[in-house]
Amino acid sequence: MSVLTFDPSGDPILERRRQIQSIAQASLGRRKAYSAVALGICWVFLVLAIIPLVAVIVYTFAKGIVAWNATFFTQVTKPEGIPDGGVANALVGTVIIGAVATAVTIPLGLLGGLFLAESDGRVASGIRFTADLMTGVPSILMGIFGYIALVKAFGYSGLIGAFAIGMIMLPIIMRACETAIRGVPGHLNEAGLALGARRFMIARRVILPAALPGIITGVLLAIARGVGETAPLLFTIFGNQYMQWNPTKPMDALPLVIYNNSSQPYPDLLQIAWGAALLLMAMVLVLSIGSRIVAARLQRERR
Amino acid sequence: MATTDTAPTGGEKRRHGRFSLSNGAYRVVLIVGAGIFAALVAWFLYSIVNQARPVFSALGVSWIFQPTWNPNLHEFGLLPFILGTIETTAIAMVLAVPIGLGTALSLAYLVPARVKVVLGSAVELLAAVPSVVYGLWGVVALAPLWREYVEPFLTSVLGWTGLFNGPNEGVGLLLAGTILFIMVLPTMVAISRDVLAVVPREQVEGAMALGATRWQVLRKVVLPDARTGLLGAFTLATGRALGETVAVALVIGNSNYIAHSLKSPAATLPSLIINNFGEASGTELAALFGAGLVLLVIGLGVNSIARVLVRGKTGAAGGATSVAVA
Amino acid sequence: MSTHTEVFPPVHESSTTPAAPRSRRTGRALVLGVLSAGVLLAACSSSSTPATTTTTAPGSATTSPNGGGAAYLAADLKAPAGTLAGSGSTFVQPFFTKAFYTYSSKNQGVQINYQGVGSGAGITAFEAGTVNFAASDVPMAAADLAKVPASSGPVVQIPDILGGVTLSYDLPGVTKRLKLDGPTIAGIFSGTIKTWNASQIAALNPGVTLPSNAIVPEVRADSSGTTYIFSDYLTSAAPGVWTLGASKTINWPASAVATPKNAGVAGSIKSTPYSIGYVELNYAVENQFTYAAVKNAAGVFVVPSTATVAADAAQKATVTPTSFSIVNQGGATSYPISGYSWAILLQKQTSESTGATLVKVLDWTTQTGGGQSLATALDYVPLPPAVQTYARTQLLTVTGPSGTALLTK
Repeated sequence: MSVLTFDPSGDPILERRRQIQSIAQASLGRRKAYSAVALGICWVFLVLAIIPLVAVIVYTFAKGIVAWNATFFTQVTKPEGIPDGGVANALVGTVIIGAVATAVTIPLGLLGGLFLAESDGRVASGIRFTADLMTGVPSILMGIFGYIALVKAFGYSGLIGAFAIGMIMLPIIMRACETAIRGVPGHLNEAGLALGARRFMIARRVILPAALPGIITGVLLAIARGVGETAPLLFTIFGNQYMQWNPTKPMDALPLVIYNNSSQPYPDLLQIAWGAALLLMAMVLVLSIGSRIVAARLQRERR
Repeated sequence: MATTDTAPTGGEKRRHGRFSLSNGAYRVVLIVGAGIFAALVAWFLYSIVNQARPVFSALGVSWIFQPTWNPNLHEFGLLPFILGTIETTAIAMVLAVPIGLGTALSLAYLVPARVKVVLGSAVELLAAVPSVVYGLWGVVALAPLWREYVEPFLTSVLGWTGLFNGPNEGVGLLLAGTILFIMVLPTMVAISRDVLAVVPREQVEGAMALGATRWQVLRKVVLPDARTGLLGAFTLATGRALGETVAVALVIGNSNYIAHSLKSPAATLPSLIINNFGEASGTELAALFGAGLVLLVIGLGVNSIARVLVRGKTGAAGGATSVAVA
Repeated sequence: MSTHTEVFPPVHESSTTPAAPRSRRTGRALVLGVLSAGVLLAACSSSSTPATTTTTAPGSATTSPNGGGAAYLAADLKAPAGTLAGSGSTFVQPFFTKAFYTYSSKNQGVQINYQGVGSGAGITAFEAGTVNFAASDVPMAAADLAKVPASSGPVVQIPDILGGVTLSYDLPGVTKRLKLDGPTIAGIFSGTIKTWNASQIAALNPGVTLPSNAIVPEVRADSSGTTYIFSDYLTSAAPGVWTLGASKTINWPASAVATPKNAGVAGSIKSTPYSIGYVELNYAVENQFTYAAVKNAAGVFVVPSTATVAADAAQKATVTPTSFSIVNQGGATSYPISGYSWAILLQKQTSESTGATLVKVLDWTTQTGGGQSLATALDYVPLPPAVQTYARTQLLTVTGPSGTALLTK
């Protein structure tokens, strides 16, 4: 860098500007090259980040679509060597366990979210912080918690698996509800109060309907997370080669089928694992994309 | 159950239906709802601590840092698993920081607007892919690649560091770290992008007006402003990597020793629990709960730091996205 | 500068009222969906439909089991409808799942849910009382039996199948079957023999060009009865070399790759060149593995097969839960790494009908004409007649809560 000198003969400001411009001009080439390289690296990293996504989805699709036929969706899992195996029992298990977990966590999450949205005290911020932390708890711990708390007393059952998954979903739904409710414009609440309505009626008739898209987004994301989890199910639902509609009995589930068959040497069982992986991934992606569509609708409504 | 109230018109209230709660009752219901959540969390924490108690009363606290896990001899050292957890997370973050940051910068500032939505959503969808699918893909598709191409290549290039000794087995620390990197990438990218996007426009435009190149703007203005938030994104991603169980267990080789090379089979705290929980009883079961407790403490510690760093740096939008991807 | 779609957009002060009618319709749809899910759950009943129950007259426990064989089998197939849950050994899993599948197809009301999780986990589940029966390749020892609550009563353990443990390997370029002996195998799995062309292996296999690649030992990550049989053999055949003991869990060397379950080890061997591991014969045959000829106590290198496993078992006529090991028996054609697998149940069952189902299913499974006739096709060896008699005698001691024997003709 050159030293700026003060030339008393000309306008000092113009002189200063001319000197800065010459310095900038001299370094422009270097700076531009440096920038091009750095930005190029950023682009390369972007591509590097997209590659695994494409690889996982394409590979799973290619391997899994081969397994998808009528037998796959209608037959239960068969032992190795017996033909016509499928994942019907695991699919039923995943849907029922997911449904039970959702049915319980939606009302609890709504109540918790309303509480957090309407309170600002220390207790509320403590619960909010706890909910944030609980979204990050390793799911294996929920599995062993479910076992030690409930399986020893009640035996293996789909309900306990739903409980473990619900524990993972609940903080996500609570925080999503809170954020959605806080996003509702404050003047709606005030208008309701001005009309003399009680808080419950305002929540029920004004706030929740307005926050509904955000709530649905959060619920869909939580379900996507919940049905994809394996570890909470490993020690709670036991598995079942037979079709089981009763959640109080041991059940099977798609993540369990994938986990158990992933190390198998038998090609037909491995194919079942890939088919189940594609099915699970498709369910989760549909839920996630659905939540995105709801969020986009929310944006359109607001703008 | 309709209750009498000082509503201006009784007729209007009846049109809305009979079920209503007084303000007090409504408040109680909300408190009960939040209270149930708090009680569940307390039950969870109590269970883990209570089940781990026997091993602490029998062996003190130092057992955690012993290097040998041998239940037959009543040795429950967790050091190999703590190190395995740290090493796989370190490999994941070494890859995730540059690539995640570069991707986030591209998405926030470099990519044209229409492509930005598609690519951004695509990267975030990575977060939705279940862990077990990553594990299946890792053990079937990636392990042979690692054994045949990646590990020999890295050994020939970086073997002098002494980190790449041993046979090429495919499964091991390296593969587990790579799978973890792919799994935490969406978290890293999504939160970093939100943090980078809320840098004040005036500063960015001002720097451009002064003649700075685009990279200079990013490096001198955007990154320093987003520093705390980026650190929060990093910490959140680390927290996610620490707790990952199923994908890691399928590709890490499950060796109960401290790994001496990046290619060795190893084990992490979650993979230890998932492999041994079914058959454990007595002190070994308590030791596994102790491992869970250690994992919980590490994870909660890292996540607490992350939440404090991220809060307020991204606004309501970023905070909610972090809930979604973390 | 960014206009990406945010999951939760920032708060806007908007002058438009929220589109309440659309949200209300969405809300109604949501409630309807949840309600119908609830109705669906309530409407769905348990899958097992009650079949006709058998008349369980108090059985005459003193009749000779062999003489009443066919009558017993016929009665076994009339077990009361119900669901059983069992877990444990993956050694026996292919046989059990095929046998139970066959039984269920003959008696539609009975469902036997068997999960292969490893012998150790099966025993732990049995001790916790979460399964009706456990399967393990090594019977419960005194220390395990002590963990069963005293109120549950005594434990009955019966052999249910006979199988062999192979040394399966993936050695590219070597077509001739390798010969291995106890000390060499012990060296490989202790980590002292590290490469395929080591002198001990070359000495046993003259004329075979062995590659210089490192050996990858494939072992079990979970508590395994197969590991017990394998380590029991090594303790017996290589007493000076093998120092890691005989147990369901072994402190394997650091270079070993551990995977849970027999199927997991088999999958790992299949996909890892230059690996060698121990898997049950069924898995090795089904996956067309190459497995070694192992030197037996008589000094002969024997290839594992149903015939050689049977020859080894024939050396020990009587097995009991305290005297069960058949590894490394004498005999020129014996395969030394063989073992029985055991089914474990409570002697005093807590439910009359579930207990009756359990003993009848297990009796059918352990007798010729029942499950044992499926064994050979799956590369297992049927139980010798004396062992079948022992199993039936033990099952005859199982009673319901009232004290009457559950296994009746």
